[in-house]
Amino acid sequence: MHRWLVCVMAVALWPQWAHCDDSDALLLADAAPRQVAAAKDWQWYAEGAFGQAAWRHGLGRDANQRLSLDVQLDKSLTTGWRAVLANRLDLNWPAPSGQQHSINTLKEAYLSWQPQDERSFDIGRVNARYGVATGYNPSDFLRAGAIRSLVSVDPASLKKNRLGSVMLRAQTLWRGGALTALVSPKLAQQASTEAFSADFGATNNQQRWLLALSQQVSEDLNPQWLLHGGQGQATQLGFNLTTLLGDAGVAFIEWSGGRDRSQWAQALQRADDTAWRNRLASGLSYTTASKLTLTLEYDHNSAALDRASWAALRHGPSAAYLQYRQWTQRSQELPTRQALGVYALWQDALVQRLELNAMLRHNLADHSRLAWLEARYHLERADLALQWQVQSGKAGSEYGTAPQHRAWQALVRRYF
Amino acid sequence: MKTTPLPLLALLLAGMLALAAQATPSAQDILAASDAVRNPEHPFGVTNTLIEYRNGQQTGSSTLGIYSRADAHSGRFRSLVRFVAPARDAGKLMLYSGKDLWFYDPANKASVRLSPQQRLLGQASNGDVVSVNLALDYRASDAGEEDVPDGERGTRHCHKLTLAARTPEASYHHIEIWIDTGTLQPVKARFYAESGKLLKTAYFRHYRKQLGAERPTETVIIDGLDPNWVTVMRFSDWVQREVPDAWLQRDYLARFKPD
Repeated sequence: MHRWLVCVMAVALWPQWAHCDDSDALLLADAAPRQVAAAKDWQWYAEGAFGQAAWRHGLGRDANQRLSLDVQLDKSLTTGWRAVLANRLDLNWPAPSGQQHSINTLKEAYLSWQPQDERSFDIGRVNARYGVATGYNPSDFLRAGAIRSLVSVDPASLKKNRLGSVMLRAQTLWRGGALTALVSPKLAQQASTEAFSADFGATNNQQRWLLALSQQVSEDLNPQWLLHGGQGQATQLGFNLTTLLGDAGVAFIEWSGGRDRSQWAQALQRADDTAWRNRLASGLSYTTASKLTLTLEYDHNSAALDRASWAALRHGPSAAYLQYRQWTQRSQELPTRQALGVYALWQDALVQRLELNAMLRHNLADHSRLAWLEARYHLERADLALQWQVQSGKAGSEYGTAPQHRAWQALVRRYF
Repeated sequence: MKTTPLPLLALLLAGMLALAAQATPSAQDILAASDAVRNPEHPFGVTNTLIEYRNGQQTGSSTLGIYSRADAHSGRFRSLVRFVAPARDAGKLMLYSGKDLWFYDPANKASVRLSPQQRLLGQASNGDVVSVNLALDYRASDAGEEDVPDGERGTRHCHKLTLAARTPEASYHHIEIWIDTGTLQPVKARFYAESGKLLKTAYFRHYRKQLGAERPTETVIIDGLDPNWVTVMRFSDWVQREVPDAWLQRDYLARFKPD
């Protein structure tokens, strides 16, 4: 119905409604649907993607397709008991290098018992994730080996599509604080490339434990302290904290430290060079009135190679270089000491429901770069997205070595 | 005829004036009473369905489960908000505890700290005009009484109050609110920025008996900059329930599973 007609009718029927804007809105509200959505225990989506990658060294371009199914179940069983399952299946054509066409990721499968409001116990595979930074999370101690299927370099995707660790976890809460303790046993020796393997060897190849303590010290400050240790490794300390900067800004800092071998010694099994090592991610986010959130993050890792050692490795034997890179990728660690990241998220960008995401990561040792852009449009039960990425830098640099130079991907996700 | 002594008359008059002053509630009292109409005095859960319109067309809808309690010390509401729909957002959580605002996504177990600006820009920000104790964050002054059109095409005789922000927690610089003189039910409110710009107009309507009192089960919000942007908020499934203090923190978000 035309707006002016609604106004005329409203004023004729209710003369006190001389101010027409409000009566128009109230008429709309009168006709609004009355259904109320009910909460569901499960949700799943299917995602289809196709794209193209341009390879370095004159290897041309490749088309690729992917179909993914992602399911999450969170079901209350009896009073205090709950079952959680999260699983993802990726079908890729062609198969990713060294992997099969199908890759199943059993992200979580655990039972939870909450005998009281403030106490709980979990047993099974749990994605226990810690940290407040965007691109690099040094206090996310259980991240090593967790990524089984890499579908995007987007940090949000890396955090979503990963394996949890098998553990027994207990948590106690009080007003403004919490203490969490977990033990994670060794279940297998090494990771599996089998398509439907639960892949306990990727996440549970050594015995580990973790303690996390949070205590709110003011309305604005809620620091979290962590202790992490395990078989064959010295105890590491972790810390993360956020604070507001005015009405629109958030500053964050995340740190881990402890006596540890260098990444070089661990990756290439060299002589023990244990010393105190620090890892840090810090930065700030700012949100504008137009729903644009910008995040700037500085990352530091004193266990990684310094500039000179990195240059030497790049120009040295390729086997050692490859071994080091594979270790850092598996561990989700920085290969060099310092990096910068800029992240942007613009909701309702230009038009309603359109979301623009951007990321630029810059290695401060070799000045190589990774840029990633995504435009995502939300429909009622589906998303349409277009992603583009480019990795640039000199030969042997962090981003200049990846065989894939440029890539784009279009995808459709349907929620059920 | 015996005359009344003058001092006794003066005393009587003073007493009557004092009683009258006591009987007339202040603007702040009226505001507090209207807060109590909107907000149950005990911890509660409620389902909030939001339907959004632009230029007369429905452009979106979402459903939120809200679990809320007033803080014993400050009196301010602290809430857990769980997204029920759309499917894309189902299971995501927001924690509102003063300046401690967190967004939690169960898919990646990530808790992200939000700034007050992000709170105001999100869909759930409209909760600001519903579950908030205005009397705590605003100083009310009486702007007289007047007849105003309500959200159901009727006319209500109302106190008009002008509210000025007095704490950093206040989301708006100032507010005009119309409160029924008989029932102390809020009827309509206008929310303003410091610049004097109208940010949103809210109509509180469809009063029904919920958790022991007549409460508005629908709020219609009209954007101040774009009057063609209308959000209808419906409240259903009110229930008195425990919301322990220990739940209202970041570490609890991963295990929040309402009955």
